[in-house]
Amino acid sequence: MFRSFNKWCFGAIAFLLFAGTFDAQAQGEGLFKSKCSTCHQPHKDGTGPKLFEVRKKWADGGAKEGSIIKWVNNWQSAAASDPYAEGVSKVKSAAMNLFPDLTKEQIISIFDYVDAQPDPATAVTTPGGPTDGSMDPNAATEQSGSSMIWILLAVVFVTIILAVGGVRRQLKAAINERDGIDSKEDASYAEEFRTWAWKNKTYVGIMSLILVILLIVTGIQGLGTIGVVEAYQPSQPINFPHTVHAGVNGIDCKYCHNSVTKSKSAGIPTVNVCMNCHKQINGRDAAQQAKIKALYAAAGWDGNEYTGKSTPIVWNKVHVLPDHVYFNHSQHVVVGGVDCKQCHGDMTKQLETARVVPIEELNKVEGNIPLTKPTLTMGWCIECHQEKGIAEGPLDGKKDGYYDEIHRRLLNNDKSLYNKYLEDGKVTVKELGGWECAKCHY
Amino acid sequence: MNKIFKAIASISGVAVLGLIFGSCSSNPDSAGLEYMPDMYRSPAIEPYVDYGEVKGSLDVSKTLKISALVPPMRTIPYYGTNEEEVLMMLPYHRLPNAVFAKSHGYYGWDFTSNNELDYEYLQAAADVNPYKITAENAEKIFAKGKELYSANCMHCHGEKGDGNGPMVTAGSYVGAANLGGLTIAEGQMFYSIYYGRNAMGGHASLVNKKEIWTLIHYIHKFQNPSYGTFDEKGLPISAPSAAVADTTVKM
Repeated sequence: MFRSFNKWCFGAIAFLLFAGTFDAQAQGEGLFKSKCSTCHQPHKDGTGPKLFEVRKKWADGGAKEGSIIKWVNNWQSAAASDPYAEGVSKVKSAAMNLFPDLTKEQIISIFDYVDAQPDPATAVTTPGGPTDGSMDPNAATEQSGSSMIWILLAVVFVTIILAVGGVRRQLKAAINERDGIDSKEDASYAEEFRTWAWKNKTYVGIMSLILVILLIVTGIQGLGTIGVVEAYQPSQPINFPHTVHAGVNGIDCKYCHNSVTKSKSAGIPTVNVCMNCHKQINGRDAAQQAKIKALYAAAGWDGNEYTGKSTPIVWNKVHVLPDHVYFNHSQHVVVGGVDCKQCHGDMTKQLETARVVPIEELNKVEGNIPLTKPTLTMGWCIECHQEKGIAEGPLDGKKDGYYDEIHRRLLNNDKSLYNKYLEDGKVTVKELGGWECAKCHY
Repeated sequence: MNKIFKAIASISGVAVLGLIFGSCSSNPDSAGLEYMPDMYRSPAIEPYVDYGEVKGSLDVSKTLKISALVPPMRTIPYYGTNEEEVLMMLPYHRLPNAVFAKSHGYYGWDFTSNNELDYEYLQAAADVNPYKITAENAEKIFAKGKELYSANCMHCHGEKGDGNGPMVTAGSYVGAANLGGLTIAEGQMFYSIYYGRNAMGGHASLVNKKEIWTLIHYIHKFQNPSYGTFDEKGLPISAPSAAVADTTVKM
């Protein structure tokens, strides 16, 4: 039904375009975008009320003819001459700007443009648009399905083994009975195994040696994975899709994580930062709207105004470093000039909630220094300190960055050392003491 | 003897198995085993750590309260001894109007005693940028301004300041202002960035006062491309576009 309505709607617009109103529409669009759209939208109340069929609304409300045009030019004179306009002037607390230079034709073209805008609420959501952050349900069922198959197979095999063993025991008992051997000789499983092992002690010995070595090796390897949090992806109160924010909408990482240039921690944005955009954006589909509703509840925004009843959002921390490691974001981002993606991967493609990106994926990101050790381990840190060259020297003599001063001092004070550092074409962090224990552990 | 040995062997076998399976944590919110949990969870204050529970002792009154601390009321950070810079960083002397509580969420803030809407905003037209641009620092100001602008403003107002940022072209947001066409005084720009204006939210928590004034220099460059260029004598080639006061009358 919506589809046919939509078709009808597009048909109507196409007809309007062909009917020769194209120029007027284009003029109206340009004017609307430059003069009105900061406060008004066609179908949604913003700073100012929605403008769709506002002329009809005024006419139905009993406004004098032409007083809406007057209102756009100067709302105060309109309010003075028309009681309906006077009523409108008391609706919103924020006052409208004056546009005395707009002609009557221009204002009409703006209203024509606005009235021709289809309501996005009745339009079908565009295919290929940003989707919500929910996981693919098929993948989850597939995984649990495959583990179920293994369990079933194990049960079947154990049953077969037990059944065969039982048959064998009964056959042996039958043989013993026929040969007249005392059934007391009938050994238990354990005794039987012991006699069998004693007979084949060489093989059993070698096998158990291999088994013990295997156990020790896997045990040591297992200890090595303790404290490694690669691919850690805790649940979050709101499934925040970085794809939409950093990807589609092109918001810089440093806008939301704004303390990254000033502080040790990159910072989780406070809700007021979210509301800078979400005051207007309330979601295209039901899944998005549900998520943004949770944000509104936290901000105390009732869709019209702030109520003052806010509640904190309790996010789960993803990248946890031990207390005995000192890591400073601003030092790496501002002074070191390290791009976010070196450690956090390409967040514009992170559809689900944030996670510790495994090293294999980090290495695939263009421009990253390839490393081998797991993400967020000490090996990973020092490997990068060994590989990463600091900013190039102050060749033009003008730069006044932190590392430009280092280059200058090396050049002036110890040229031979500087040349030794530059053998591989760069001065690495390690060469400046990036491997000293006390740099990070103190 | 043999019996005791057997019992010990079986019990320890079960214990080892239990340990192995027990360590396979199924909770996705758990980061897994740690060698020394007390070295991970610091009793000293760290950001984004809930200090409701420290080393097993629970203190409900601290839950969700003590991390991400804010400085004590009426204290200001230390900004060195350069008088000009310190004066620039002092708390902003213009206050928001009481309606900002409902429109921008400023509950618990100090409001201006004048209830006239936009009173302080109109007064702010008299404020001038204390961060003076000269032939020496112009390049630095614009480089820093570009950095700040691309992190904090560009996604809505666009790279060229024309109000066509990626958020607008992606169809997510409508109505970002064309900065090149602004006709408000720089003091009013500061007020708008600091407290927010119309649909825009306040950015005082994102950029400090010196950074806002740096951004205003950068915005002037959109309005007047020759802004911030100087001749050999160090005199501005074109005077900063004369600050036009907001001519629109407000209620």
